[in-house]
Amino acid sequence: MKSNLYNHTFFISIIVALLVNINCIAQQNDASNYRTRFGFKTVKQADNSRLLEVSFIALNKEDRKDKPPVYGAEIQFFNILNDEEILLGSSKTSQEGIAQLILPENQKYSTDGEGYINLRARFNSTDALSEEEADLMVKDLHLDLNLAEIDSVKTVTLTAFTIDSLGFKTPASYVYLTTYVKAMFSKKIINEGSISDGAYTFTMPQSFAGNPKGNLTIVSIVDDNDEYGNIIQEKTVHWGTFNKPLKQDKNMLWTKAAPIWMYVVLTILLLGIWVNYVYTIANLFKIKKDGDNLSSEPKKNYSVN
Amino acid sequence: MKNDQIEKGETNRRKFLKLGLLTSVTAIASTSIITNLAAQEEEKEATGEVIRLLTPDGKIVEVNASNMNKYPEALITPEESRIGIPDRKFVMVIDLAKCKNARKCVESCQKEHKLDDHEEFMKVQLIQNNKESKPYWFPKPCFHCDEPPCVTVCPTGATFKRDDGIVLIDNERCIGCKFCITSCPYSARQFNWGHKDKFDDKSVPYSPETQVPAAEGTVMKCDFCPDLLRQGLLPHCAQACPEGVIYFGDKNEDLVTNGQETFSFSKLINDRGGYRHLEHLGTQPNVYYLPAVDRLYPVESGFEDLDEEIIDRYKNVPYVQDLKKQGKI
Amino acid sequence: MELNNRKRELVKEFSPMLEKTSLLTKIWIGTLISIISVGIYAFVIQFKEGHIVTGMRDNVVWGLYIVNFIFFVCLSYSGAFISGILHFFRTPWKNSVTRIVEIITVLSITIGPIFILLCIGRLDRLYYLFLYPRIQSPITWDIIAIITDLVGCFIYLYLTFIPDFAILRDSPDLKLPGWRKKLYKYLAINFQDTPDQRKRLHKTTSIMSKMVIAMALVAYTVLAWIFSLTLQPGWNSTIFAPDFIVAGLYSGVSVIIIAMYLIRKYFKLEKYIVKSHFIMAAMVLLVLSLLLGYFTFSDYFAKWFSHKVADTDLLHTLFGHYFWQFILANYIGFAIPLVILSIKKLRTIKLITFAALIAVIALWLNRYLIVVPTLETPYLPIQDTREEFIHYTATWIEWSLSFAGIAAFFLFFTLLIKFIPIISMSGIIEDERRQIKANKKANKSISSK
Repeated sequence: MKSNLYNHTFFISIIVALLVNINCIAQQNDASNYRTRFGFKTVKQADNSRLLEVSFIALNKEDRKDKPPVYGAEIQFFNILNDEEILLGSSKTSQEGIAQLILPENQKYSTDGEGYINLRARFNSTDALSEEEADLMVKDLHLDLNLAEIDSVKTVTLTAFTIDSLGFKTPASYVYLTTYVKAMFSKKIINEGSISDGAYTFTMPQSFAGNPKGNLTIVSIVDDNDEYGNIIQEKTVHWGTFNKPLKQDKNMLWTKAAPIWMYVVLTILLLGIWVNYVYTIANLFKIKKDGDNLSSEPKKNYSVN
Repeated sequence: MKNDQIEKGETNRRKFLKLGLLTSVTAIASTSIITNLAAQEEEKEATGEVIRLLTPDGKIVEVNASNMNKYPEALITPEESRIGIPDRKFVMVIDLAKCKNARKCVESCQKEHKLDDHEEFMKVQLIQNNKESKPYWFPKPCFHCDEPPCVTVCPTGATFKRDDGIVLIDNERCIGCKFCITSCPYSARQFNWGHKDKFDDKSVPYSPETQVPAAEGTVMKCDFCPDLLRQGLLPHCAQACPEGVIYFGDKNEDLVTNGQETFSFSKLINDRGGYRHLEHLGTQPNVYYLPAVDRLYPVESGFEDLDEEIIDRYKNVPYVQDLKKQGKI
Repeated sequence: MELNNRKRELVKEFSPMLEKTSLLTKIWIGTLISIISVGIYAFVIQFKEGHIVTGMRDNVVWGLYIVNFIFFVCLSYSGAFISGILHFFRTPWKNSVTRIVEIITVLSITIGPIFILLCIGRLDRLYYLFLYPRIQSPITWDIIAIITDLVGCFIYLYLTFIPDFAILRDSPDLKLPGWRKKLYKYLAINFQDTPDQRKRLHKTTSIMSKMVIAMALVAYTVLAWIFSLTLQPGWNSTIFAPDFIVAGLYSGVSVIIIAMYLIRKYFKLEKYIVKSHFIMAAMVLLVLSLLLGYFTFSDYFAKWFSHKVADTDLLHTLFGHYFWQFILANYIGFAIPLVILSIKKLRTIKLITFAALIAVIALWLNRYLIVVPTLETPYLPIQDTREEFIHYTATWIEWSLSFAGIAAFFLFFTLLIKFIPIISMSGIIEDERRQIKANKKANKSISSK
């Protein structure tokens, strides 16, 4: 009895120690120390294709700053109708933890009774990570961006409508959108407002330079609408007032080519001086030659005058 | 007798249990310490630019940041760097009303250009215009002047002005005569005085657009980060500023942005009274400043959490001397 | 015939300088070589470790090397100017000094650019200056000017040496090793002192002397422009080019006076270098000190009076950190020569030389005060905590290289004196020839009456 207890305590303590050790080592590399964040959104892009995007990030439970993305996780995207999952496609998460699936414009979706497309993104569980699933419902909104000069005033017209199962167009209302002009590093807001009764019009508040060809890119964005999700529409129009500077200064002090007068002055000076040096040296050679000629003649006792 | 034996047995058991607990605690503690140390060793080796990722198998891996293809495929060679990004004219606007000397611009620039602690392409100075006004924090990059005195005096053409307005230095052409450093009225240039180990790092080929690796006996300065501009990203200082002080953009487009807000450049300068520093010298700088009017932060907040050594830099500013006398610093 | 004898006499008179090396000279040469070796060692350290071993840092990027460069180059240009002007005088007294002046010219223009090379960060890329030159840069102008001037001064010096080499070659009395005699023969390019050859040589030398004057002016102006064409407070001054030229002459004449004194004393040439030489040089020095004092005063007075902020900061630095250097350079440096040279009683050879010595030191400090304080007071304040970035202090490497440069100057001077007589023998012959001609003409006119 005694020895058994001793043995037991001895072995138990060793086992406990080992277990705790394993946990200590694994603490650095185990997913159990992290909880995950699985975000799912959809964006209807400018070419009317639909982007399904999942963001899969792990958050360290203890260290708030440690947020490693999950890399290489396979995410499946489904369209759900009456509890039936229709697989739309799948993709793996990138090094930023983003998995994207782009569905073309002519993709057919099954909508539910109220006209919503039900979408689901799922990550199947692995040994280390548990299953993740996210659902969203989105109505397909057709957004059109029209740019035209009406009465020589640059006008932007936005039309939005949904198409029901029978093919009827219903104008949309209460859709808040922001319109921007694209710049090299960012976008500048030119208008914000809500579509009412399927249409929204405003005029360009100011003129923009645009790109060197005089083209402006105007972007209208519906951001995180409850019904319609995210929608982006973009169009390029030749409304830019880009004026290329007429002449680039070429012969300045700081350009590759110098002002012409510098070349002229330098050449004149240098030629003048170095030609003189050459003349001097030529004279020296002449002196030498005279001396050689002299020494080849018989030496005279000439008096020096 | 039996009681004595039992008591003895119990004491013995207790003793052994204590011993066992002590042993196991020591075992756990020591192995934990060793494992932690080992892990720390691993962490020490994996310095540099690494990114931590979690795989579906539940393992944390570290990947070289450069594997993420931050740099465009085409390396811009010194010859190519003399031609600028076509049809652009880069300009920077710095809002002195918002700057609180967070120094994130300085630090991010140092990190990305692999600069040492004291080497600063972007300097934050404390300027007091006159005795009546309070001083303001003055972030000063290179101004990339349109009529640069530094480019004029370079005897070999190692520093050059491109069509997109950026003034760069080609370290493979620079002979280190330092004429450009004496010529810049804004003290924007620096010299590499001796050899540093970081010069030997040839893992990334040299480009004047990144200035990495630098070279001994040559000049370096702020370059407006053309490698980021080619990707449509703002320079490091503009991205890093927590207050959005630094606006950057293309003068041809007439739009500047600090990452959050975008403004029309001409409107911003007109409405806020934008000016250039030492305009009368005729260098035509491309960095505009918005005056320190309606400041977001009092100038003293710039001294909070600041290294003693950095505070000491500003000891000649009269306002700082007053603050020191009042014991506020 | 007489002149041939005269030539032999002269050679006999000057040959001890060429043939013997006294113990004192040997010690002198030895000391100079040791100073130069320390300098070479310092250079090797600088080449290996980089410029971090100097005192130059990001604000004062030009220090002792550039000061020495300007100083030596100003000596050279003033020497060229003076020797060019001396050439026009056909008086006997000029013979004693022309060679001294010309040697100073050539030696300084050889040593000056070496200091510039010391200041270049990447000596392995020096040839880029010739491969990728930018002619808008004042440094390119300076390189062209220095090279042109170097070649010009060498040619001019050689032209004056040729007749002397001929005399040395022809004299049988010289007790020199064979290689030296061969060298004289080769360098004399068979100059036989015929009328034709003399005429040709005179013509060439005349043209070169005029050219050398013009070049000296232009080249030193270009050097002044390296500073005055920038925007920096203290440098962007319109008076820089004239100030540099006058300052150059000031230091040049002073060095000539010191050289005359030393050579006269050591080689016992009291017959040739006489007091009137010193008086004449003293007069020139007096005028120059007045002129230079005037220029310097105008420059700083205008800065003080109009008190722009940048100028006031500079003046604070000059009268604060550099107070004693400024007093010595710009007050004492002009006052003492002025006093000594203007009072007739004080114009003794020794005192004149002393004044010249003060002038040289003051001028060197003047150059230092031009280069360094401006760099310490830029437009945007230096907000730094590292002392070496705020104030410039030269390190032992820079000092040893400076002294090595001065030692090299003295060494080559000494060696040249041993190679060719310091008094122009052919000049003396030329004067006597002219005297004979004048006498003959006078006799002829008398006899014809």
